[in-house]
Amino acid sequence: MLKMTHLSKVYRTEVVETYALRDFNIDVKEGEFVAVTGPSGSGKTTFLTIAGLLETFSGGEYHLDGIEVSNLNDNARSKIRNEKIGFIFQAFNLIPDLNVFDNIEVPLRYRGMKAAERKQRIMDSLERVGLASRAKHYPAELSGGQQQRVAIARALAGSPRLLLADEPTGNLDTQMARSVLELLEDIHREGATIVMVTHDPELAARAQRNVHIIDGQVVDLSEDPRFHVVHAEHTGTNA
Amino acid sequence: MTLHPMIAALRRHKAGVVLIALQIALTLAIVCNAVFIIGQRIQRVNRPTGLDESNLFLVSQQWVGAPSGDDPASVDKLDSMQQADLAALRSLPDVASVAPINSLPLLNSSWNGSVALQPGKDLRAGNARTTYYFSDEQVLSTLGLHLVAGRAFTAADVQHQAMHDQRGPSIVIMTKALADKLFPKGDALGKVIYLNGDAAPTTIVGLVERMQVPGVGSWTNSFTWNATLAPTRLNANFSRYAIRAKPGRLAAAMHAATPALYATNPMRVLDDDSVKSFADIRAEAYRADVGMAILMGVVCLILLAVTAAGIVGLTSFWVGQRHRQIGVRRALGARKVDILHYFQMENLVIASVGAVIGLLLAIGLNLLLMKHFEMDRLPVIYVLTGIVVVLALGQGAVFVPARRASNVPPVTATRAV
Repeated sequence: MLKMTHLSKVYRTEVVETYALRDFNIDVKEGEFVAVTGPSGSGKTTFLTIAGLLETFSGGEYHLDGIEVSNLNDNARSKIRNEKIGFIFQAFNLIPDLNVFDNIEVPLRYRGMKAAERKQRIMDSLERVGLASRAKHYPAELSGGQQQRVAIARALAGSPRLLLADEPTGNLDTQMARSVLELLEDIHREGATIVMVTHDPELAARAQRNVHIIDGQVVDLSEDPRFHVVHAEHTGTNA
Repeated sequence: MTLHPMIAALRRHKAGVVLIALQIALTLAIVCNAVFIIGQRIQRVNRPTGLDESNLFLVSQQWVGAPSGDDPASVDKLDSMQQADLAALRSLPDVASVAPINSLPLLNSSWNGSVALQPGKDLRAGNARTTYYFSDEQVLSTLGLHLVAGRAFTAADVQHQAMHDQRGPSIVIMTKALADKLFPKGDALGKVIYLNGDAAPTTIVGLVERMQVPGVGSWTNSFTWNATLAPTRLNANFSRYAIRAKPGRLAAAMHAATPALYATNPMRVLDDDSVKSFADIRAEAYRADVGMAILMGVVCLILLAVTAAGIVGLTSFWVGQRHRQIGVRRALGARKVDILHYFQMENLVIASVGAVIGLLLAIGLNLLLMKHFEMDRLPVIYVLTGIVVVLALGQGAVFVPARRASNVPPVTATRAV
């Protein structure tokens, strides 16, 4: 589903080159629930933005659902984002001027979907996240947990092949975080492929597989002596 | 792209939307009426007088120590002085013809009166107003007037009289417009009329196609083309001569006129302003109209520029305010062109609301001007063109900030606020 091989991302200024990702390799199979962890600045979010085609990479290969994406133009990348990827952001990223229904409708409109099908999908996805009664509410009228559920409904409405979640519970209290996580687990059980970036070990433990990023590279903590002590203290958190 | 979510979003930004819509509406209302007024002024300024204006100029002069003209002998003396001037001017090598005349179209100095079909003082108001031009047998050729019926004056027709003499001529040539007003059946030629409520009959011997009155103010609107030519040399201590130069010799003829008149009689006043080409007379007559048209044109341009700047400013503000939102839309699959179209469509919605309000304001303003300033009804084409212009202006103004919005990268969605 998602395969990056020797991928690199370099930010260049006039005087310095900074590698956000270096010789980055990852292979996420269809139907997997993968948690991507790592310290701040390790490259987790850069990985997610490249995986979601939100920005380009500097070298290597990236195959998404069998398509090599490095040579795609902006329109083709937009189309893939719209049709194959569902995003769940830490800050929810709902459009404040639109109500819940219209927010979920945004990606469906860009797909050119007919109104009746849009409505059906929106109501189905709202039912799925338990917010069918809030369709006419504006984001400001909802709690953080409800806003994140709307964001998940927006991501689900397009029936994406891949769900990318960036710290989906980062702005939520424990109870709300738990309900959002349970929702993601339900979605995964129904067959969705989910890649979730998080720095929360407890959250990562709920995923099928953990991928740890340090200094822009995927590392296997069990084989890296630098992390044996830390690993021992957090047993069971790494695949 | 459907409008519902866009309008729903705009409802949450009422202040900016209302301000820009009102600005567009006011601009449309003012510009439509202003352009209409400018169009009318330009049409007025460019309307032909009926004269062949090229190679035509006017000399106005005053004798010093001339006879009073209060008795027949002094009138005869004044006439002989005028005839000497005419002879001198007609003998100039660059001059084609010369006619004495009391005024010219656009000169803003006129002798107006009434024309009636019946004699008598009780009909003094007459059937039509007219301007009188007093001249001689060379008037048609000198002014380049086009005779459409009847005959020109002959030397035998021409009489002379003191300026203050109230006697009317026995024959006249008049414009077709005046003749048609008096005789709608088109049989004016040879008919008898009465000038200024006089009991003495006057016969119409010729019709000219067109000749404008000297006045250009709105007070002449009711009789702009009602001119009557009388075969009379008016005698006073001043005189005017309409002179047609030979083709291409206008400057030379104008240059030679003053020395020729001084050579005939040095006791006269002739200054730089005494010899004027008809082009100068036209420019002077319509200076206020041209100035007003330019001023209104500049005001229109400023209004349009301010409106465009307002649209650019508001859209730029909204693009800045919605920077992250644009990134989210891009992340959710919007192409650059979708973002560009979003802002263009948003502007079209606001501008359309402004255009509808502006349409009503334009009509209202026109009705107000019609009531208080004798303005004509604003033709629909001006309003429709105005609507197209403000909509196009909006689209042009919104393009740069909308393009900037379309370049917001999708990765913006993941960046911290």
